[in-house]
Amino acid sequence: MSRSDAHAQVLVIGSGAGGATTAAVLAEAGLDVLVVEEGGWVEQGSVVPFSLEQMDRQYRAGGVTVALGLPSIAYTEGRCAGGGTEINSGLYRRPPADVLARWAVDYRIRDFDPDELFAIADEVERDLSVGLRPGAATPASEVLRRGADRLGWQNDEIPRWMAYPPDGNASQAHRQSMTRTYLPRAERAGARIEVGCRVDRLELDGPRARAAHVTHADGRRNTVRFGDAFVCGGAIQSPALLQRSGIRGHIGKTLAVHPTVKLAARFADVVNTVDDVPVHQVTEFAPDLSFGGSASQPGLVALALSDHWAAFHTAMTDWQRISVYYAAITSEGRGAVRSVRGVRDPIVTYRLTRRDRELLRSGLARLALVMLEAGAEEVYPSFRDAPVVRNRADLARLQDRFVAGRASVMTVHLCSTVPLGEAEGITGASSYGKVHGTDNVWVNDASLLPTAPGVNPQATVMAIAIRNARRFAASRSARG
Amino acid sequence: MPAVRSSHLVAPFADRLLAADVPALGVVQRAEVVAFVGRRVDGLPGFIRLGVTGVAAVFRVLLPLPGGWRIVSALSRRPLPLLGEYPRLVRSLAYAYIWERWPQTPTGRGGA
Repeated sequence: MSRSDAHAQVLVIGSGAGGATTAAVLAEAGLDVLVVEEGGWVEQGSVVPFSLEQMDRQYRAGGVTVALGLPSIAYTEGRCAGGGTEINSGLYRRPPADVLARWAVDYRIRDFDPDELFAIADEVERDLSVGLRPGAATPASEVLRRGADRLGWQNDEIPRWMAYPPDGNASQAHRQSMTRTYLPRAERAGARIEVGCRVDRLELDGPRARAAHVTHADGRRNTVRFGDAFVCGGAIQSPALLQRSGIRGHIGKTLAVHPTVKLAARFADVVNTVDDVPVHQVTEFAPDLSFGGSASQPGLVALALSDHWAAFHTAMTDWQRISVYYAAITSEGRGAVRSVRGVRDPIVTYRLTRRDRELLRSGLARLALVMLEAGAEEVYPSFRDAPVVRNRADLARLQDRFVAGRASVMTVHLCSTVPLGEAEGITGASSYGKVHGTDNVWVNDASLLPTAPGVNPQATVMAIAIRNARRFAASRSARG
Repeated sequence: MPAVRSSHLVAPFADRLLAADVPALGVVQRAEVVAFVGRRVDGLPGFIRLGVTGVAAVFRVLLPLPGGWRIVSALSRRPLPLLGEYPRLVRSLAYAYIWERWPQTPTGRGGA
């Protein structure tokens, strides 16, 4: 972007799973598209995944962001070209059909056809090379499969969007994140991409937004004029920007997440795989509850042990025999995103319900049981004063001592802050993402999901974003 | 909101916590970790940084008092936003740094 003010037919704010797909669809439809992204462009392979350097360069606030509550819930947001797709585990789950059907009815979403969304998912899966990992799973992943099989619990391998080399060497896979796929596509179709460019606010004239006031990484400020704006900054930043711009309505009031609690488990053999994450997931109790594996670099193992360090610290010398696992719940609680004038970052809060707390308790105990069945010698739950679990009898102690307020609760799935649909009072945007009360401001990211879907939301976000962008492009084409 | 730098307030608590949790860590290494924690705290989002600064200031006043460490430890165990989570924040930042940088660091007894 030049030093002078810029103009675009369509301004796309944010370049993650929602923004990148929006930009590609609109640019390929012949629209003049400018993408602005607050973070920088970081080439894959230039930083070690899940390292502190990656957190510095690709996460918001170095990865230290939190939704206040009892307990507070730590969350992470990507802040780089490609957004969260550059920093997550690359796991892919289609939206459950029953969830889509429920959303359509409860939120009165027009033309919300699961078949259309699944057809889009077919395209996305081809574009991102979604598939199963070739060869044997990692030892840490096998733990989940083995433990669940012994209990007779349903489990499967989660597909990932990875391009594997012809020899099937999974360690040489390339993540098919947005900087490898939809952003280059958008550029090839003529879209301009400006990184290091934060949108401070939108300038509105009645219901019509005219311009975006932006600040560049070097401190320079200017204005981007546009015909339409697509806000795709994710479930925290999108409502925060709308609020900063004075847009009211059902914005930022119904944050939904998948809260997780963790444990570390130690085995007789080496299980820790520092350069990959487990791909198996235990789905016996889904969608309420599911179990999976986390990144387990030594720093992250230490973190998992830190809640009761006095009792757990000796395990750290065995970190190569330890891996970290999570129990995730589909929460009935809700949170809020609130912007305050003159303050750069919004306040984020979240409140777990009693049922959520019970699910976290039972989930952690069941996950510990999976670990024992898989052959764990010791299990270290991540909450203050947690007991070491060595056998089934210890599981009762775990459940007795667990209090959600003492646990390290975190999430990487945030959504539902601008729900789409026509139902009054519970939606922030139309059935195609246009923010209620505006003429030309659209949201097209995880904010639109009416509730947390109970699975990794990226596939759902991409399918809905492409659906909405196509509808927008068609309407512009029809206008001539 | 003006930029609030909290690192100087966080440093005494972080140093004391690490001396107890990871006694094998040398003085120079510990100083490096404490500096890292300070940098990360200074980079927290506005309201969180403000809250952390408040708790850090209280802890900083209490720490030099007789029995200060015990008081701070007891306060840290209260299930209140920020107060109870402050030691967790310092620990998580510090441990992530220590074991990424020096994966073979031996552990020691401790825990506030």
